[in-house]
Amino acid sequence: MRKLRFTTALALLAVSASVWADSGVGVDTWLGNKLDPTGGQATKPLDLDGTSWLEPGQHRSPTGNLYGTPAEEPHPEILSVWQIYGTFDVGYLHTTGTKTALYDRYTRWPTNGPAFDFDVNAERPSDGSYAEARGSRISAEDQYYEAVYGKAGAYKAEVFVRDMPNLLSTDAKSIFNGVGTNTLTLAGGLVPGGSTQAQVAAASAAAPESWLGTQRNKQGIALSAYLTPHWTVYVNASDEQRKGTRPYGGPFFFDFDNIGGSVLETVKPIDDSTVNINAGGRYAGSEWRFDIGYSGSIYRDRYLSYTFQDPFVLGPPLVPGAVSSPLTQGQMSMEPDNDYHNLHATITRLLPMNGEASLTAGVGEMNQNDNLISPTNCQGTFGFSSTGTFAIGPQNPQLFPCSQWNTTAALSRTTADMAIVTTLTQGTLVLQPTSDVSVRGGAKYYREDYRNQYLMYNPQNGSYGYVAENGAQGSIVPGPGIWNPATYPVTSDVQVRSIPYSWQTIEAYGGADWKFSRHDTVGLTYTFDHYSPAHREVSYVDDNTIKLNWTDKSLSWLTFRLNYTHLKQSGSVYNSDPYAFAFFQNLPGFVPSDNTPTAWTVDAQRKYDISDRTENKVDLMATLMPRPDMTVTASVRGDWNQYPTQIGRQGYNTSAAMLQWEWQFQTLSSMSAWVGLDRSSMHMANVNDAGAPLATDTPNAALGGPTYPLADQWWAADKQRNWSGGASLTHYFGATRYVGPTRLDFSWNYQASRGITSYNFASPGALTYASVAPTAGNQFPAMTYIVNSLTMSFTVPLSDRASLRLYDYYERGQISDWHYAGFNNTLVYGNSLYTDGGPQAYNTNMVGLFVNVKLGGGK
Amino acid sequence: MRKSSRMFSSPVGVAGGALLLMAASALAAAPRYVDLRHLEPVHGDSAAGAKKAAVCFACHGANGVSVAPTFPRLAGQRAEYLYHRLVSFKRADPKDPYYSVSPMTPNVASLSDTDMRDLATYFSSQTPPATAAAAAAPGRGEALFLAGDPARGIAPCQGCHGAEAGGPSISTGPYAAYPSLRGQYAPYLIARLTSFHKNLPHDTTNDFIMGGVAQTLDDESIQAIAAWLSSLTPARSL
Repeated sequence: MRKLRFTTALALLAVSASVWADSGVGVDTWLGNKLDPTGGQATKPLDLDGTSWLEPGQHRSPTGNLYGTPAEEPHPEILSVWQIYGTFDVGYLHTTGTKTALYDRYTRWPTNGPAFDFDVNAERPSDGSYAEARGSRISAEDQYYEAVYGKAGAYKAEVFVRDMPNLLSTDAKSIFNGVGTNTLTLAGGLVPGGSTQAQVAAASAAAPESWLGTQRNKQGIALSAYLTPHWTVYVNASDEQRKGTRPYGGPFFFDFDNIGGSVLETVKPIDDSTVNINAGGRYAGSEWRFDIGYSGSIYRDRYLSYTFQDPFVLGPPLVPGAVSSPLTQGQMSMEPDNDYHNLHATITRLLPMNGEASLTAGVGEMNQNDNLISPTNCQGTFGFSSTGTFAIGPQNPQLFPCSQWNTTAALSRTTADMAIVTTLTQGTLVLQPTSDVSVRGGAKYYREDYRNQYLMYNPQNGSYGYVAENGAQGSIVPGPGIWNPATYPVTSDVQVRSIPYSWQTIEAYGGADWKFSRHDTVGLTYTFDHYSPAHREVSYVDDNTIKLNWTDKSLSWLTFRLNYTHLKQSGSVYNSDPYAFAFFQNLPGFVPSDNTPTAWTVDAQRKYDISDRTENKVDLMATLMPRPDMTVTASVRGDWNQYPTQIGRQGYNTSAAMLQWEWQFQTLSSMSAWVGLDRSSMHMANVNDAGAPLATDTPNAALGGPTYPLADQWWAADKQRNWSGGASLTHYFGATRYVGPTRLDFSWNYQASRGITSYNFASPGALTYASVAPTAGNQFPAMTYIVNSLTMSFTVPLSDRASLRLYDYYERGQISDWHYAGFNNTLVYGNSLYTDGGPQAYNTNMVGLFVNVKLGGGK
Repeated sequence: MRKSSRMFSSPVGVAGGALLLMAASALAAAPRYVDLRHLEPVHGDSAAGAKKAAVCFACHGANGVSVAPTFPRLAGQRAEYLYHRLVSFKRADPKDPYYSVSPMTPNVASLSDTDMRDLATYFSSQTPPATAAAAAAPGRGEALFLAGDPARGIAPCQGCHGAEAGGPSISTGPYAAYPSLRGQYAPYLIARLTSFHKNLPHDTTNDFIMGGVAQTLDDESIQAIAAWLSSLTPARSL
């Protein structure tokens, strides 16, 4: 399969003749893997001679950091008119220890298996032609290959294939047959809708542990060309297929307090493809520049939906005397097929005073018109029978025949027909009136328009609304989310239309930088942003932001930078319920079940993205150069956000400190150490509604009113603390006239996270179950995650062309997550079934032995 | 777990294997070149050097002022430069295309490191005579030395050897080994620049600098530069 796809990509490349050049547009500009995330750069032999014959050590960046040693200059073999050079690494990997999803998240180490990588280059100096082939293989699921052919200043063509795993769980226990397909049926002798909790628990315990995850295979081409010295054109295209599984929901109403629902963690199939295309052209003249481009993506999912069987018996209806029809299966819609297209153009004019002005315009559309699935896939009837007769008719208005809902004829239209249209206009101006002063300004207008709405209306029976949890809700409590003006005119208010969240933003900014002395630069930028959403709680939100920055290099051994940002966000009058137009209450003839619509939410609530907010952010960074070959970097930052609201997010603060030391003690050798600490805390407040009996529900949305009494308030705080530290050493030694040096690499990384969610409440009424208040405590157990990793690599030269590399990677992970407490014993709790056993601790060592051969020799 | 895999089940086992590999590499040969970027000052005993220099006088003249223009003047030259020239002759590979044909190579074979330091210190301490060759008319040689020829990629020599050709004004670190060129014999300079043009010798980082610089020098330019330098009055380059 891989060979076929590679051949296809090559064929595509061959068809594209003409001339092409390089382009930075698009993704996939860097291919790498866990063995070497740098895509060959980190393991490339460094130039033993350093950067310059004139002086020792490395130069520094403008902020004072030492540049690394460049890679070794190639010594090519001459083959006719071509110069050939490159490297081959061939080796074997051996892994011992635990295989877990945390360790293997984006890679697939083999227990035992060969691995290789290569990078071969060919250059023809006579006309500037060049070719490169590179690739790396860790295992059949984790590999990439890339080929490039081009001519300097004329064209470049690239083709690549990349396989990458995305492992989510290694301790899943599924009670389903058909995992990976869109039809999950019960295994282990379980009966749909007829198994006891003990039977389900036994089947889950007996199920073998399995892996859940996705394999991502991608291939693409990139073509670019200089048509003239001023004009370049480019096109990039890629296609990625994902195949696999992931844990996913499968609810049949609630399952707490033995209310009678069931909650399943099902296994969703992943089988889709995404095509990405970028194409465009650029003109770069001495006065004018022009850039026009197209970006697009096409997503296609093999499945429209997947179905699953429910082993549990749904509990009896909560209304005395009523009976419920059995439900045995459910369904989930998959992500819809969708397209994205965007056209954009920028024109830039170079101005006097070393300035330039540019104007950008863009239009785009995101649309999906996938087939819709039926509201339910049940058979028979669902809902309640008040009379106990299961007779469809006016006497049982909350009992529905599945045949009226398990077909796409029950939809108001059969395809989604939805789109979002985007519009962008932007202008910028930069001037440098003197060598010490630069000024800048700009404005931007961006808009997203939602096109079309979906109305949940069933033409088969004249009903409005949707079937929640395949009908489970309506089988347990009255009011299944369906309203029929003729047969069931009185019900709870439920959303019946999709909400078009259109919005636009207008932004303007201006600022200047002034180098007021030989060593000091200050800058000031003011930004105003006016955000106008449709169908949100506010009609507009204004952001006013001031940014100050100061850079000082008065001392030759120190670069000091200070950034400060102050933001003030405020908006229009806050309407806590802007969604009424999309609910039953907006339809003629609707009668709320308690005579008046219940308050949507407490009116004191402010959603954090549009709430009033004050932010102060400070960054202090110091780069010290105590010696020409040494750098010490220290930084402190803080970000404080205050939200003046009684209900909602009230504060979010982060702070961090970092200290890093680096010493390049020889031309190629260096060592470093670092330590960092960051903390965050988020505080929020909320209020429980007064709850049952329903008669107490009122339209009164006031905090402290009958629906949201002060006694039902509660508060929560999330606090996170992360420590990180590490050390690294790269040392070259023993180079001789005849063979290169021995290279030693060592690095240790430590990461520790600890998070605690604490809470308190005004009275037991704030809790879903007031009875648990005495034992509720005030915080959940701490969640911790600690990872230690050790990397060692020895590269010993065998000759001027060959070397031997011994590589070892050890990683230990410890995790404590109370969400998964007890999963070692069982994955079944009441009518709740879990599939993923949760993250596991691990202790894994991977060793590899590689032979490296240089094509073209070395120094 | 199988016994054979235990060695690789922890970093400690792997580190042991790595040490074996390192031992197996057993690298003890001389480095590829002398890195003068990390140059340390050269100190020696001038008086002791004077006693050891008798054999040098045969070619380089009494007190380092040679008579034959194919042999360089040594008097007043920088000690770091002289010492590392001797080191290069001493460590030369017998098959080296440059050093194997030099009469200096057998002459330094018996010198110890102390001898070379003493000799370098002695010759650098000598004051060259103020007499100069017949002054050359200002012309292409001076222009190339001072300004180079950007159109032909020729770098100005004064960038490293100083505006007065007495060596760079900075005489510490790697710059201490950049020689004075004032009043040096033209035939010797021509021979050296011609060798550099052929990328010879190839033993110190300074050789590599000159190998690159000399690539754009043609015979005419070499002769013009050498003629102008030889016309200058020699001076101690400290």
